[in-house]
Amino acid sequence: MIPFLLRRLVQSIPTLLLASVLIFFVIQLAPGDFLTPARLNPGISPEQLENLSRNFGLDRPVWEQYLRWMGNMLQGDFGLSFQYQQPVLDVVWPRIKNSMWLVLLSTLLFYAIAIPIGVYGAIRQNSLGDKSINVVLYFLLGFPSFFLALIVIYFILLARDATGLDIPVGGMTSNNYDALSAPGRVWDVLKHLIIPAVVLAVSDAAGLTRVIRGQMLEVMRSDYVRTARAKGVSERSVIWKHTFRNGILPIVAGIGGLLPAAISGAGFMEVVFAYPGVTPMLLTAIGTQDLYLIAGFNVITTILLIIGNAISDLLLAVVDPRVKVA
Amino acid sequence: MTITAPTKAPRARGQSQFSVAWSQFRKNRLAQIGGVFLILLYLMAIFGPFLAPDGLSTYSTTNITRFHPPTPIQFRDPETGAFTRPFVYQYGQELNLDTFVNEYRPTDTRCPIYFGVRGDEYRLLGLIPGNIHLFGTGQESPDCNVYLMGGEALGRDLFTRIMYASQISLTIGVGAVLISTVIGLLMGAMAAFFGGIVDTLIMRLVEVLSAIPGLFLLIMLRSVFPQDINPIFALYMILGLLALISWGGLARVTRGQLLSVRELDFVSAAQALGAGNSRIMIRHMLPTMTTYVIVGLSLGIPAAILGESGLSFLGIGAVEPYVSWGSLLAQAQEGGFSSITQRPWVLIPGFFIVFTVMAFQLLGDGLRDAFDPRKRS
Repeated sequence: MIPFLLRRLVQSIPTLLLASVLIFFVIQLAPGDFLTPARLNPGISPEQLENLSRNFGLDRPVWEQYLRWMGNMLQGDFGLSFQYQQPVLDVVWPRIKNSMWLVLLSTLLFYAIAIPIGVYGAIRQNSLGDKSINVVLYFLLGFPSFFLALIVIYFILLARDATGLDIPVGGMTSNNYDALSAPGRVWDVLKHLIIPAVVLAVSDAAGLTRVIRGQMLEVMRSDYVRTARAKGVSERSVIWKHTFRNGILPIVAGIGGLLPAAISGAGFMEVVFAYPGVTPMLLTAIGTQDLYLIAGFNVITTILLIIGNAISDLLLAVVDPRVKVA
Repeated sequence: MTITAPTKAPRARGQSQFSVAWSQFRKNRLAQIGGVFLILLYLMAIFGPFLAPDGLSTYSTTNITRFHPPTPIQFRDPETGAFTRPFVYQYGQELNLDTFVNEYRPTDTRCPIYFGVRGDEYRLLGLIPGNIHLFGTGQESPDCNVYLMGGEALGRDLFTRIMYASQISLTIGVGAVLISTVIGLLMGAMAAFFGGIVDTLIMRLVEVLSAIPGLFLLIMLRSVFPQDINPIFALYMILGLLALISWGGLARVTRGQLLSVRELDFVSAAQALGAGNSRIMIRHMLPTMTTYVIVGLSLGIPAAILGESGLSFLGIGAVEPYVSWGSLLAQAQEGGFSSITQRPWVLIPGFFIVFTVMAFQLLGDGLRDAFDPRKRS
């Protein structure tokens, strides 16, 4: 296990380096340099500018600037966000945590929705239930997630006006959050998280459900499933042990690839539900040309993604004994 | 006893892959419905300026009609009950002193609707000038307006805006997928053909592009351009960005396919006949990708349309005065959540997105099945 993780780590270094080069040079393409927006900002003193300019070696050739930027990052210094007047990491980290909660919860729900429905569709192929689920999923595939979210908000607001229930839409905490006890706080955040997470999970699950159904159907026709049935293995075991475990292999292999999509998808939910995650912050950063923030953040997500990919490889080895991790 | 003379069976003619696929496609009713809807949608986009009663950004600066509600078209005279020329009531605004919300109420003034009325000038396809609109209230009474689907934030007619937005929403996605297909094929072919360092570089680039979440990559690329860019340039930019981040998958597949095809007999035969490298590449090897590319195009376009609408929704896509369905939807967010319930009609553009994407998906699934030998019946 550990040698495998080490090997993955070593393999991911070139990708990470290239990604950082790409990010750096894209940012370099912007008119002016890192400090142009800062020079226009009266809140930053000339000494500070001088200091920053020296720190990042803006008078040096481009490749040397890149090395310095990279070197600073290795020491955990992602630069200064001009908009917030704080180190990038301090600005970004709490928001990444917020976004992670949303992504985690919606990913859990995503599988909790997609797997049972996909398996049901395969077992009862062409039944009325299967057909109606298929039609609904086909509709869902065409819905942009933000549009689905807007519709859900519309109906929740109608329901709220009609019943007077306090269903939270938007934000991450209630106004009285600071006054709540610890379990009360968890419950409060969860209440705010659940609606965006469900909307995101449902809008993404349509695709996966169809894949699972297709995979299950394919495996069900194979010889070893027929053999298992002939031997009198219980139906439950045939479906979950023989068929399901083989059917989901390509899906497990793709978990790592799903992560970028899940993070991007969560971005739309954050914007629609005014959730304090990373995407709303990045969108304001475009407006203020807060380039360090954007570049530093992109590097951090790339690292997180590479970790995610390694986890998905590990999972694949757990599900499929034929894949050796060592 | 009768002997039936053997009827002379028509000689079976070899069928090309396309004629087989076409005959399969003809059997798939759903895919055909998708195709017909798409043709209608594109016709709607082309003749949008004619169908719309107003111009792209016509609004009154004196009589501001923010989020004007839809005006139902009346066909009967309310007093006599007889059929009359269709008309809408003119709406008046009044500030509700309890809620401080502007409320619209129909007044007694009637705005008759004329067909083939002259109005704002436009150019169909950018070429054919015209000023005739399918319907409208004419120019005699400037305060008279028909709002088929309500008004938007500046009081412009939402239906008109949707018609104009369809031109952008329907072209950017298609354009982006076409460009990314060309890039993907070229890059994949180059990687397979040159091998070595070029191969490594291109494949690493593909890996890096897929390692950064798409939305954030787009946000980063957008941040390179200044905030107040030329609106036309913004459209090209968004098209280019969408194409730039989505060619990776195709490049990977092309490389794999070409590497395996390179070893096949027909390539050696072409080489033996003295064909040049570029000829072998273009005439012999790349055509083996045709099916994959057709299916990939038809399934990639809906994804690109969704992508464009998402970016425009976030405000990094189409900018004023141009609109796309996504940027129209962004207005649903204006003024906080609670205002959606007062103006549900701002959600209408979203249904156009759903409808278009569904039509493309039906067509794409149909094409995929038509080219798939395992699904033939």
